[in-house]
Amino acid sequence: MSTTAPMEVRDPDVGFEESLATPWVVIVWNDPINLMSYVAFVLRKLFGYSKEEANKLMLQVHNEGRAVVANGTRAEAERDVFRLHEHGLWATMQQD
Amino acid sequence: MLRLPIRRTRSGDFRVDLDESARSLLGHLCAELEALLESDSPLLARLFPPPYGDDGERNEGYAALAVPELIEHRRASLEVVRASVEATRLSADDLMAWMRSVNDLRLVLGTLLGIEDDGREPEVPDDLADTYAAYEFLGGLLEVIVVALAD
Repeated sequence: MSTTAPMEVRDPDVGFEESLATPWVVIVWNDPINLMSYVAFVLRKLFGYSKEEANKLMLQVHNEGRAVVANGTRAEAERDVFRLHEHGLWATMQQD
Repeated sequence: MLRLPIRRTRSGDFRVDLDESARSLLGHLCAELEALLESDSPLLARLFPPPYGDDGERNEGYAALAVPELIEHRRASLEVVRASVEATRLSADDLMAWMRSVNDLRLVLGTLLGIEDDGREPEVPDDLADTYAAYEFLGGLLEVIVVALAD
C-alpha cells in the first residue's frame, strides 16, 4: 500500500467558528390551531422524549407560550427546526 | 368496549374504519391542498414559519433551501393519503403521512377561519360553515390518529 497517497486536508476554517460559538436553542411556540396531544406526540417522536417529558414541554408551550425543545450547533438547530416545520409546529431558533 | 375508528392491530399495522363520506372528504381536501401548494397563497404561511425571528437575511437563506424541500415532503405525504384513502389497513409509515397531512390541512383551514384563541369557539360566518365543519372533522381525525400511533 502506498504511503504517498495525498492526504485529505481539511479547511481549518470550516466549522471552527461554529464549534466555539454559543450554542443555539430550538423553540416551539404556542399556536391556537395545533392540538396539545399532537404537539406532545411530535416531540416524543422527533426527539425521543418520554411521554412525561414531552407532556411537560407541551404544557410549557401551552401555558407559557414557548419552550426550548432542543439545542446544539447552528446546523443541528436548523435541522431540528426543519423537522418541526415538516410536522407543522411553529419552531424558531436563536443563540442562547 | 369502545373501539376507536383507527387502532393498532396485533401485527403492528393499523385498522381504519372510516365511513365513505369521511374518506371522500379527506381525499378531496388533500387534492385541494396539493393544488394550493403550487401557489404562493397566504393561507400557506403557517406551514413555513420563518425560523430566525426578525433576521430577514437568515430567514431568506433558510427559506431558499428548506421551503422547496418542505413542499416536496408535504406533497409526498398528501400522495400517500390520496393513494390509501380507501384502505382499511395502513402501515405505521402511511399513518404518519396521514397524521402530517391532516395537521397541515388543519393549519390551512384554521388560517382561513382566522382561529385565534385557544379553546374558544370562533365566530364563523355562514359562508365558512362547511370549512369549519371540515376543520372540526380533521381535529377529531387527528386526535384518533395520535391516540393510535401513541398506543
